[in-house]
Amino acid sequence: MAEVVLRSLVKEFPGGVRAIDRLDLRIEDGEFFALLGPSGCGKTTLLRTIAGLEAPTEGTIEIGGRDVTRVQPGGRDVAMVFQDYALYPHMTVIDNIAYPLKVKRVPKAERHRTAAEAGASLQLEATMERRPGQLSGGQQQRVALARAIAYRPQVFLFDEPLSNLDARLRLEARSFLKRLQHELGTTTVYVTHDQSEALALADRMAVMEAGRVRQLGTPVEVFRRPANLFVAGFIGSTPMNLLEATVEDGGLRVGRSRLPLPAAAGAHLAAGDKVVVGVRPEYATLAAEERPGAIAGQVTLLESLGSAFLVSVEGDGVRAQVTVPEGGQPAVGDRAFLVPDPGRLLVYRADDGELVGAGQPAESAAAQGMRATPP
Amino acid sequence: MGGWLRLVAARVGFSAFVALAAAFFALPMLWLVFAPFDPTPTLAARPAGPTLANFRDVFQNPLVLTSLRNSVLLALYAMVLVVAAATLAAYALSRVHLPGRDLLLYVLLLFSSVVSGTAAMVPLFLLVFELGLINTYLGVTLVLTGGLLPAAIFILKDFTDTTPTSYEESARVFGASPFQILRDIVVPLVRPGMAVIAVWSIVNVWGNFLIPFILLRDPDLAPASVVTYSFYTEGGQADLRLLSAFSLLYSVPVVVMYLFVQRRYGFRFYGGIKR
Repeated sequence: MAEVVLRSLVKEFPGGVRAIDRLDLRIEDGEFFALLGPSGCGKTTLLRTIAGLEAPTEGTIEIGGRDVTRVQPGGRDVAMVFQDYALYPHMTVIDNIAYPLKVKRVPKAERHRTAAEAGASLQLEATMERRPGQLSGGQQQRVALARAIAYRPQVFLFDEPLSNLDARLRLEARSFLKRLQHELGTTTVYVTHDQSEALALADRMAVMEAGRVRQLGTPVEVFRRPANLFVAGFIGSTPMNLLEATVEDGGLRVGRSRLPLPAAAGAHLAAGDKVVVGVRPEYATLAAEERPGAIAGQVTLLESLGSAFLVSVEGDGVRAQVTVPEGGQPAVGDRAFLVPDPGRLLVYRADDGELVGAGQPAESAAAQGMRATPP
Repeated sequence: MGGWLRLVAARVGFSAFVALAAAFFALPMLWLVFAPFDPTPTLAARPAGPTLANFRDVFQNPLVLTSLRNSVLLALYAMVLVVAAATLAAYALSRVHLPGRDLLLYVLLLFSSVVSGTAAMVPLFLLVFELGLINTYLGVTLVLTGGLLPAAIFILKDFTDTTPTSYEESARVFGASPFQILRDIVVPLVRPGMAVIAVWSIVNVWGNFLIPFILLRDPDLAPASVVTYSFYTEGGQADLRLLSAFSLLYSVPVVVMYLFVQRRYGFRFYGGIKR
């Protein structure tokens, strides 16, 4: 059990590419922490730097209160699960799970017992004598997990461990992983580019872009109040509506429609300011009659999401989407009014893309001991 | 009609050509099968005898058995050295990014194939002489190994390149030392490549005449390839009875090894393990 503390960490690759840019991060003891970002944002480099597979250019890494910046990977007491699982193809499953213990010079009988226990806890009893090549993708993934568990590290490092599984299995493995981490209580750093995975698994998460943390918070905070346009665009399985708007006396002009200006944002804005209004499709309703504070338009597209419909509304060059429960969907061509839920409408500055009036969530973040590098 | 005839003619012509080409390569083999058992062998491949008299006579020569033993020893020494050095070098070259690494490999390979054994023989002889290794197996083994290493490294590097680095990285995170990683992970993964290199170096050393001929002075140390040369009369006439019998003895170990390796491992020239 340990916390992981990164202090002004920099990783520069030869050629001047800055994969990690002065990053400060504190991952609490026992926490399931997700690093989320698009490919090339530095999340895997950050994980590999924590593991010791990459040496940081500047800054320090502490694991469990010990400075491990210059410590070899093997001395950091971390276990890593790789995207391709890195199971040794020439060893049986039990030898694979027991290999880290063999390196630690645990006697053979004992390490086989520990490996068998770890395997049994992941329903691998029947496969112990097989080779990784004879296992399904899901089984291979569990062998990789069992190997990490049998090692009993201070910290688990997961590098997109679910991305090689097919969609259905991934959902099962996701729940399984979360339950497992909960039972073990081991600090876990989890890298993924899949925002739904990060939202579902993490206690807290960091959204990264170009080597920096753009937002740090619980999945609920990140989903409800993305701190900037990058996070707003990245999080959410249906993309957030981001509409250009102008501030005018107590309201927001979007095309020909007028939306109410949230009080928290209004204090920081003056009439004539250019802003971007963010409305999640889930945080809006569709009305058939005209009403104030709605975006007017015509229904142009219906997309089924299973139990709901994603409805596209277009009018005056403004295009927005809203989810409507099944049965309540309009017909294509209908006149419709998209009403953002009060209190869920977000306002971003058009110039730097930052959330206006983001004071409250940032304070609660500070209370929980989070620190994000100001972008 | 004419088209049909032309087709038949083409088929017949092609088959005849293939048969001739096959016979060209098969005849020496046939000779090697028949001549050792022929009481009066000629250069013709014809069944006659059979008699074992040729073998009885060839074993009268005390050099025959020692030379075969010497060949085995030389081949094993060189094989062990080539496989060990090539594995270490290939692993290092595959994993460490040195500037000009690929150029170095290609230049090594190019020189080792362009500068053939014959052309390099005089400087090699002088080098071995200066080192005081003339007439020693160490000298012969080192020279043979040096000649085989570039190609061996080149082939093995291909095998190591295809094994994912995540295997080694995961072992490193679990605390394995470089030596443990090599022993537990890398060597088992490139074993097919090492088997190829081992067989290939044994065959090369077994058939090498020039290097042991020049670097070994003592007939008791001569390997079989050199001793073959002693079954000639002083007039330069080959004693076909002894020569054919010895040739068969000389080829049997290599054939047996091929069959064994083929049976046991199969020859896999497709690189390392892919998943």
